[in-house]
Amino acid sequence: MEQIGKQVRLPFRRAFQIALSGIRIRFGRSLVTVSGVVLGIAFLMSNLTGQLIKQSIAQESEQRNTVNLMLSLVKSEIGDVSGRHIAVSSFGNLSTVEQLLLSQLKTTADVREGDGAVLRIVLGNQINSPASLTTLTAGMSQSVVLDSLANRVYAGTAAPTMRRELFFGKESDEQIAKQTRQARADKFRNWWIVTISLLVTVFGVANALLMSVTERFREIGTMKCLGALSSFIRTLFLIESSLIGLAGSILGVILGALLPLIAYGFVYRFGLVFGTLPYGGLFGYAAMAVVVGTLLAVMAAIYPARFAARMVPASALRSTV
Amino acid sequence: MSLTTRLAETLRQAGDSAKGHYVIRAVDVKKIYRMGESETHALRGVTLDVRRGEYMSIMGPSGSGKSTFFNMIGGLDKPSAGKVYIDQVDIAQLDPYELAWLRCRKVGYIFQNFNLIQVMSCIENVTLPMSFAGKDSEEARDRALEILEMVGLRDRALHKPGEMSGGQQQRVAIARALANSPDILLADEPTANLDLRTGEEIIELFRNLRDKLGVTIITATHDLKMLKASDRIVWIDDGRLARISTPAEANIQIGEVH
Repeated sequence: MEQIGKQVRLPFRRAFQIALSGIRIRFGRSLVTVSGVVLGIAFLMSNLTGQLIKQSIAQESEQRNTVNLMLSLVKSEIGDVSGRHIAVSSFGNLSTVEQLLLSQLKTTADVREGDGAVLRIVLGNQINSPASLTTLTAGMSQSVVLDSLANRVYAGTAAPTMRRELFFGKESDEQIAKQTRQARADKFRNWWIVTISLLVTVFGVANALLMSVTERFREIGTMKCLGALSSFIRTLFLIESSLIGLAGSILGVILGALLPLIAYGFVYRFGLVFGTLPYGGLFGYAAMAVVVGTLLAVMAAIYPARFAARMVPASALRSTV
Repeated sequence: MSLTTRLAETLRQAGDSAKGHYVIRAVDVKKIYRMGESETHALRGVTLDVRRGEYMSIMGPSGSGKSTFFNMIGGLDKPSAGKVYIDQVDIAQLDPYELAWLRCRKVGYIFQNFNLIQVMSCIENVTLPMSFAGKDSEEARDRALEILEMVGLRDRALHKPGEMSGGQQQRVAIARALANSPDILLADEPTANLDLRTGEEIIELFRNLRDKLGVTIITATHDLKMLKASDRIVWIDDGRLARISTPAEANIQIGEVH
C-alpha cells in the first residue's frame, strides 16, 4: 500500500503566475477593484500634494515680503537705489532670501566692489562688533548696512549705528499660539477626512474581493479537489490584492499629484507652483502613498482570503452555483 | 480503441497486487447538516466496500444523500459519524496536508460541469494538479501534452476552456483527473452535459481505464449506458443504502436508437 504523504507547498512564483493571469482574464472586475484603490489613494495624494504646494507658495511669498521690506528700508535711508553704487560683502553660503535680495538689487542698482559705494550689504555673516562695521563702511560717504542674518539695518555716515531691527515673521506669542491651534485643527480635520476615505477604500476593496471569492467558489473548490492547500488559496488572494493595490496606488498617486498641481497652477502661476515645489518631499509622499495603498489592499484581502481558504472542496461538485 | 491503448502504455500501472482488496471502505457513515436549529440527516448510516479496480455506479434521486456519500468516499468531506477508509487509512485521521496529498494523487475528480479553470488554458489546467504534486514544470508540461494527445486534444493545448465544446472540455477534465495517475476516479454525472456520442466515448474510456490500468471508477449517474457499463450499481435513498446489484440483475433496457 502506498503511504499517504504530505502535500508540498507550491512555490510562490507559480502562485504569482496564477494570480496574475487571473487578474488579466477578469480584467473588468479587477478594474473595479483597482478603481477603489485609485480613488482612495488619489484623495490621500491630492491632500498631501495640496499641502505641499500651499506650504511652498506661502514660504516663497514670505521670502518675497522680507526682501521687499529690506528694499523699502534701504530706500527710506538712501532714496531710490537705481543706478547707484552698491557694494556687497558676502560670507559663506547665501540664504534664499539673500540671493533673492541680491538678484533684485542687481536688476536696478550698480552692484560692484570699489570705493564710493553708498550702500554696503553684508550677506551670510553677522556683524558682531562696531569695529567690523567700521571696517565695512570705511570710505563710504553715506552707508546703509543690511545684515540679513541678524535681521538688522545699520545706517549713518562714517560710523553707522543700528537703525532698526527687522522682525521678519516674528509675531506675538498670542498670534503664534492662535496660528498653531488653527494649524493643528486644520491638520486634524485633514487627516480625519483622509482616514475616512482610506477606510472606505479598504471596505470597498474587501467587498469587491469577497464578491470575487463568491464568483470563484467553484474554481477554488476545484483547486482544492486537485490538491491545493488552503495556504495556497490564501496566498493566491493576497498576491492578487497586493498587485491590485500596487497598480491602484501608482495610478492614484499620479492622479492625486497631477490634479492639485494643475488646479494650483491655474490659481497662481504654473511657473510659481512648479518652481517652488519641493520635489524630494513630493516623491517621499508618493512612495508613502504607494506603500499605504498596497498595505491597505492586502489588509482588505485578509478576510476574503481566509473565507476562500476555508471553503470545503465539495462545493466544487455542486452542480448549481 | 487506440486512444486507450496508448493510455495504457503511458499511464502508470495502478492496480498493484500488493495493495488491499478494498480501495474504499465506508463504515456506518452518517452526515448531519446543521442549519441553526434544524438538522438534516443527509446520510443515516451507510456501509459499503468498493473493490479495487471496480467500476461502480451510484444512483439515487436528488436529495437522497447520493452526492454527500460521493463526497465522503472521495475525501472531499468528513462524516459526522462513522468511518471512511481510503486505502485502509481513516481519512478522519489525516491532517490538511495529507488530505490535500490524497486528493492530489490518489483520487481524480471529474465533474458534471467539467469545472475547468476558465482563466487557464487547456494545458495549464492539466498541469495544475502536477504542480500541486510538486512536479517540476518541464516534466509536468511534457506529461500534460502526452495525456492531451491521448484524449485527442494536443493541438488545442493552448486554447481556453471557453473556446471549446462541452465534449472537449470534459476530455480536458478527464486528462486533468488522470494527470497524477490516480488509483480512484470519481465522476459526478460526467455525461449529463454531453451529447450521446461523446458520452459513449467517455464510457469507453472509463472501461478501458479500469481494464488496462485497474483504476477504480466510481460514478454518480442516471445515464443508463453508464449504469450498464458498470460492475455494480448502488442505490441510495433517504440517506440509506437501498440496494446493490449488477446491471444484469437491475435489468436495464437501453431504449435509445443507435
